[in-house]
Amino acid sequence: MKSRLLRNVLGSLLSFVLVMGIWQAIVVWGQVAPYIAPRPLDAFRAISGDWSTLWPLTLWTLRETVYGFLAGAVLGVVFGIVMHKIAMLQRVLYPILIVTQAIPIVALAAPLVLMLGFNLGPKIVIVAWIVFFPVTVNVLDGLTHVDGDLLTLARVLGARRWRTFLVIEVPAAIAPLFSGLKIGATYAVTGAIIGEMAASSGSSLALYQHNANANLNAAAVYGTTLIMTAIGISWFLLIVSLEFWATPWRRRVTARRRRIGGKHK
Amino acid sequence: MALSDTSLNVQRGSFVSIVGPSGCGKSTLFNMISGLERPDGGSILIDDRDVTTRTGQVGYMMQKDLLVPWRTVLGNITLGARLTRRLTYDDRRRAVDIAQRYGLGDFLHHYPMALSGGMRQRVALMRTLALDHELLLLDEPFGALDAQTRFEMQQWLLSVWRESERTVLFITHDVDEAVFLSDRVLVMSSRPGRVVDDITIDLERPRTLGTLTSAVFNGYKSQILEHLHGRVGP
Repeated sequence: MKSRLLRNVLGSLLSFVLVMGIWQAIVVWGQVAPYIAPRPLDAFRAISGDWSTLWPLTLWTLRETVYGFLAGAVLGVVFGIVMHKIAMLQRVLYPILIVTQAIPIVALAAPLVLMLGFNLGPKIVIVAWIVFFPVTVNVLDGLTHVDGDLLTLARVLGARRWRTFLVIEVPAAIAPLFSGLKIGATYAVTGAIIGEMAASSGSSLALYQHNANANLNAAAVYGTTLIMTAIGISWFLLIVSLEFWATPWRRRVTARRRRIGGKHK
Repeated sequence: MALSDTSLNVQRGSFVSIVGPSGCGKSTLFNMISGLERPDGGSILIDDRDVTTRTGQVGYMMQKDLLVPWRTVLGNITLGARLTRRLTYDDRRRAVDIAQRYGLGDFLHHYPMALSGGMRQRVALMRTLALDHELLLLDEPFGALDAQTRFEMQQWLLSVWRESERTVLFITHDVDEAVFLSDRVLVMSSRPGRVVDDITIDLERPRTLGTLTSAVFNGYKSQILEHLHGRVGP
C-alpha cells in the first residue's frame, strides 16, 4: 500500500521533470527568443519575484473555482436524481442540458458579466455551468444502471421506495459521481479564468497575464499559466483523494472499521 | 397466463423442490408467493395468515447473488434489515452469529469483490436467513456454480436447513439436485403451467455422495426425467 503511494508520487515527479525538460529543450535548442517563450526556470523566477501580488490573485481564482465547482456539483447531483426519478422531466431536460454545453462558454461570459457584475457572481456561474454537466450525466447513468433484480429483491424484502433509494441506489451512484466530479475538476479552473477575462477590469490572474502579455513579458505570461495549472491540478488531486477515501470497496479486501464480532487479529 | 389452476400445500419445515421446463410458471409462482404479483384468483397463506400481494413475508434468493459491492459481508447479511428499518446492535450481533455458525466468520469484514462465487452465494443465503422468515424461496441459487462447488453448496445448504428449521421452496433445472435435496419434488409442465407430479423422496438423511449413486435415487431420477422428457432409455 505505502510503496504504491510512493511509486505514484515518484511517477508524478518524473512526468513533471519530463515536461519541464521538453520545454527547456525546445527553447534552448530551437533558439526561441525570450520574449516569445521563456525557459522554465525564468517562468518560475517571474512568479516568485512578484509573489506578493500574485498570491492574493491566486487565492481569488481558487475561490472562484471552488465555489463554482461546489455549486455545479450540487446542481449536477440534484439534476441527476430528479431526472432519474421523473422520466418525463428527463425527456424535457436532457435536450436543454445538451444545449447548455453546446453554447460556447466564451460567448456566454460577456452577457453574464453584464448581468451579474464584476465580482464572484459570473465566475461562479460559469464554473458551475461547466461542472454540473458531467456530474449530471454520470449520476444519472449510475442510478439507471442499478441491477433491476436487486431492486426487485429489495421489494420482496419489503423495502419502501425511499429506503431502497437511500440504501441501494445512492451508494451505487457514488463511483459514477466521482467520475463526473473528476472531469468537472479539470475544467473548473478554465471556467474561472474565462470569467476573469470577460470581466476585463479589477485585478485577477487573467488580467495580470493579459498585462504581462501586453508588456512582452513572456516569463510572467508562462508563469501565470503555471499558477492556473497548479490550481487545476490541486483541485483534481483533492477530488481524487476524496474518491479514494469514499470508495474503499474498490481497492480494499476488507473494511477498516471493525465494530463488532469477527476475529480481531 | 403463465400458470393454470394450481394448488400447493407445503409442510412446515420441509424441503420442496420444483422442477420443470422454462416457461412452466415457476417464477410466476415465486412472484406470487413473495407478494410481487397478484394471482388471478385464490390466495397465499403462510401459517394461515393471508399474505397475498404482501411483500416482506418470505426470504428470497436468486441465481445472481446480488451482493452490493460497497457493503461488507456483514453489511450484506444485514441488508434486509437495513432496507426495512434502522439497524440495531442486535441485528449486527445476530448477523455475526449466523455468519460464524455457517463458516463465514473469517470473512465478516470482507467486501464481496474479494470472495469466490461459492462464498458469495453463501453470503446471499445468510442474508436470506437473517430476516427470520419461516419460508425461504430459493430460485436456482446454485445455477451459476461449477459442479464441484455446487455439490459442496448443496451439502452446506442441507446443514443450514436442518439447523435453522426453515421451510424451503427450491426451484432448479437440475433433477439430481432436486432429488438430492428434497423431501418432495414437484414436476411442472408448460403451456399451461401446472403441477403434473408430486413425488415424495424417501431417502435417508443426512444424504451423502453415496446417496447420489444409490438405486433408489436413480429410480426417483428416471421417474422425474420421464415426466420432463418422455420415456428415458431404450
